[in-house]
Amino acid sequence: MLTSADRISGIFFLLFGLAMYLYVNPNYIEATEGGNISPNTVPNIVSIVMAVCGGLLALKPTNHRAHSSRSMAITGFYVALLTVGLYAMSWFGFEYVAPVLALAIMWAIGERRPLWLGLGVVVVPAVIWFLVTQILGRALP
Amino acid sequence: MVDLTTILAGFADAFTLFNLAFVLLGVALGQFVGAVPGIGPIMAMAIAIPFTFGLDPLPAIAFLVGVNKGGLVGGAVPAILMNTPGTPDAAATAMDGHPLAKQGKPLKATKMALFSSVTGDTFSDIVLITVSAPLAILALKMGPIEVVALMIFAFSILAGLIGNSLIKGIIAAMLGLLFASIGQDPENFTPRLIFGYWDLFDGLALPSVAIGMLAISEILHRMSEAHGNVQSTIVNKDTGNPDDRRVTWAEYWSCRFTMLRGATIGTILGALPGIGSTAAAFMSYAMTKASSKDPGSFGKGNIQGIAASESANSAVVGANLIPLLTLGIPGSVGAALIISAFMIHGMQPGPLLFENQGRLVYGLFGAMIMANFVNLWVGQIGLRIWVKVVSAPESIIFASALLLCIVGVAMATSGLFGVAIMLIFAVLGYLMSSFGYSLVIFIIAFFLGPRFEKSIAQSLALTNGDLTQVFKSPVAVALLVLSVVSVIWFLRKNAQAEQGLPLDEPSE
Amino acid sequence: MKLKTTLLALGASILMGLAAPVAADDWAPDGPLTIQIGFGAGGSTDTMGRVLAKVMKENTGWDIVVENKPGGGGVAMFTGLSQRPPQGKLIGMGVSIPVLVQLVQRGDQLPFDVDSFDYLGTVARTELALVAGKDAPFDDIAGLVAYAKEQGTLPVATMAPPQVLLMKQTTATTGAEFNLVTADGAAEVLKLILGGQVLVGFAAGEHFPYLESGDMKVITSAGASALSYAPDQGTFADVGVSAYVDPVYYLATTKGTDPAAVAAIAAAIDEATKSPEMAEIVKNATQGEPLNLGVEGTHQMMTEGLAAAQILFAK
Repeated sequence: MLTSADRISGIFFLLFGLAMYLYVNPNYIEATEGGNISPNTVPNIVSIVMAVCGGLLALKPTNHRAHSSRSMAITGFYVALLTVGLYAMSWFGFEYVAPVLALAIMWAIGERRPLWLGLGVVVVPAVIWFLVTQILGRALP
Repeated sequence: MVDLTTILAGFADAFTLFNLAFVLLGVALGQFVGAVPGIGPIMAMAIAIPFTFGLDPLPAIAFLVGVNKGGLVGGAVPAILMNTPGTPDAAATAMDGHPLAKQGKPLKATKMALFSSVTGDTFSDIVLITVSAPLAILALKMGPIEVVALMIFAFSILAGLIGNSLIKGIIAAMLGLLFASIGQDPENFTPRLIFGYWDLFDGLALPSVAIGMLAISEILHRMSEAHGNVQSTIVNKDTGNPDDRRVTWAEYWSCRFTMLRGATIGTILGALPGIGSTAAAFMSYAMTKASSKDPGSFGKGNIQGIAASESANSAVVGANLIPLLTLGIPGSVGAALIISAFMIHGMQPGPLLFENQGRLVYGLFGAMIMANFVNLWVGQIGLRIWVKVVSAPESIIFASALLLCIVGVAMATSGLFGVAIMLIFAVLGYLMSSFGYSLVIFIIAFFLGPRFEKSIAQSLALTNGDLTQVFKSPVAVALLVLSVVSVIWFLRKNAQAEQGLPLDEPSE
Repeated sequence: MKLKTTLLALGASILMGLAAPVAADDWAPDGPLTIQIGFGAGGSTDTMGRVLAKVMKENTGWDIVVENKPGGGGVAMFTGLSQRPPQGKLIGMGVSIPVLVQLVQRGDQLPFDVDSFDYLGTVARTELALVAGKDAPFDDIAGLVAYAKEQGTLPVATMAPPQVLLMKQTTATTGAEFNLVTADGAAEVLKLILGGQVLVGFAAGEHFPYLESGDMKVITSAGASALSYAPDQGTFADVGVSAYVDPVYYLATTKGTDPAAVAAIAAAIDEATKSPEMAEIVKNATQGEPLNLGVEGTHQMMTEGLAAAQILFAK
């Protein structure tokens, strides 16, 4: 992993910049008549500079180290947990999902003490619910 | 312009126990809500405005001033204690504030933030109260061409924040600009890169991007570290030394030039609409680091770093009122919220404000002075409470912070779509920081991008596409020359620093 | 959930008892009623929307939340609104002309049309004006066109696509060239004029303090008829331009909302527009008086406005 992290990200930005310039920008930006800056000017310049810099970085990487793949995998797990949580929230609402999500997160981190679990799973969501809907008069997601 | 009796009557109106109570309430609410991860100072204002509908103008304004100023102090708290800044400007505070908190000095770090915030704020308030009218006229002369030059200068100062790789700094900035270009283009209002998601027509919402990138990505990183290994968020190895729980006068005094510079930068940028506190905080930080005798100590818990960032971003907010009161032009989202609150309460900002409503304006100034003192006092108590709160186990802190960020972003962007965007940017932020790209540079580029593009379009329209016209503006030329000088200077400094340091240094 | 509903019902009934609502029919929003404003905080739409919300809240006892959702002259907000389920919880406030122009120019891409909404009423009509700094070397639209021809080109600050189209029509009709400087709203237009970067720009009432202080003057009306406060300045028709911009502040909600909800909200809006507070804020913002065309009238205004815009602003 010593020098490869920069090569990987450099090649990624090279390809990403090229893809934006050659495919995405022409297809997803409208052309207009008149005006001083065409809508695609800034995205195109930015994409090209990004591709060039990505290429340079891949050729001449610094010796930056990325996080270990284990810690990335664990992060991926939490991201998946949050994604499922948000998806569930869009169906069932915050009131039902929040305690479950809090429990899942706390359990995964390794919390087993009932007092803290109770605080995080019951009291915190209840306080948020009370503050947002009752005091602020806003709707929860 | 305004005779002395009006000024005195205005101040007399302000300094009543009744108004003091509202200032106190506002400051306490602002500090508390501003410090909740995911909510932040601007949300605090948005939440507070409806509460003032039933009040008379002066107590209502006093209350909002209190919320605004309290929110400024509160905003630094999660950045320092948990490294999860809720707003981009607090990210500069986190750079030295969080390392100091990790050394077992959370109270010293937050108090330094409190003191420098109030110092910067007071400085810009004094400028506002004394010389706002001439300053506003100067600010008017800064047209689109000068604004473009000023933004180029702001970008050039960022070179001071680029870590060990110039190329990676540029990539981070380009990525920020690319994401900033999502949504309608600033000149023709055509939908751009929205891929059929009309929710994106207005661009990616700043709260989603900032909280996702800065706060959630940090929480993700920390959760993966804590996985299966519960401990308190801040391992509070209390040093036992009372000096580590407070800021000594000598420490405060040693930051006087830093704070003066920060407050000056903040006041200047605040008086110019549209640049904002983020650029001010980072410019002040980068300049302080560059002019320090010991630049290597920054990012490791140097109180000068906290002083630089907080004095600048707080000064912006006071100075935002200069164009707002004298010209009726809001300089930031926060200022726009204030102006609409003022107008609801019958205050008409603009050229005739001081003549027609002088007494109310000086009442407002009186309230601002009160709020600064109250901020110091409430802060002393509030900070202790927050330091206690975050010494709960990490498991509950992370779970609660995530829930609060979800709710906060959902409220700020009206719906779960904004929360989904937040999660995407959290992953992007995590990956970028793992691969050594600066999140801060990304965020600043994202934040300044639309304004930059619009100012360039305006400049092209004004000059009829003839860029040589730039040379007719001495201010623009001076700023551009300064930009070139500062880029060269910062890059040489970086190169020198690199030679003395092992290359393994993380570039965040 | 049950507890919440019960609590809310209890709270609502207490509130209703206390506030003695004047126009409350059987319908009341379940939870807060959100008014989304299609422009940023601090502008005239925002100010009027917030006062409207305040008066409605006082009159009905409903919990009303105001949010800003700027972008595309209200198009971003109405787009979002059209995609929501019709629950009677979210209403939008915007300005007619920018929406109509976007529909004419980009109707095939927008996910809504004029019939995608249940209309609730209007708040005011505003008179869009072309204003200039006091030192500008012309006093009316004919003088402006002559000056632009003499100079070769003249920078004009605009804040929305309809104004851009109006200026393009002016170029097509008179042959005078304009450089259009896009500003972020009336506040920025005024800043550009005051700072001397442009000579003229559009404003919808934000310029009144400067007329009073003598820093600015009115060139002409951008509407169909002359400005009520400057009847001698005429309109763009004086130089032969047939296009005009006549913005009306209106409110709408998603199509298919419970008719009882539409009736109750429309009644609340109607009651609010008659209040002295609204009269004062509308006077401050537009120099005019509150104007509510009602449910039917608003729908008619939008339908007829679209037909007119198709002629005036077709590509």
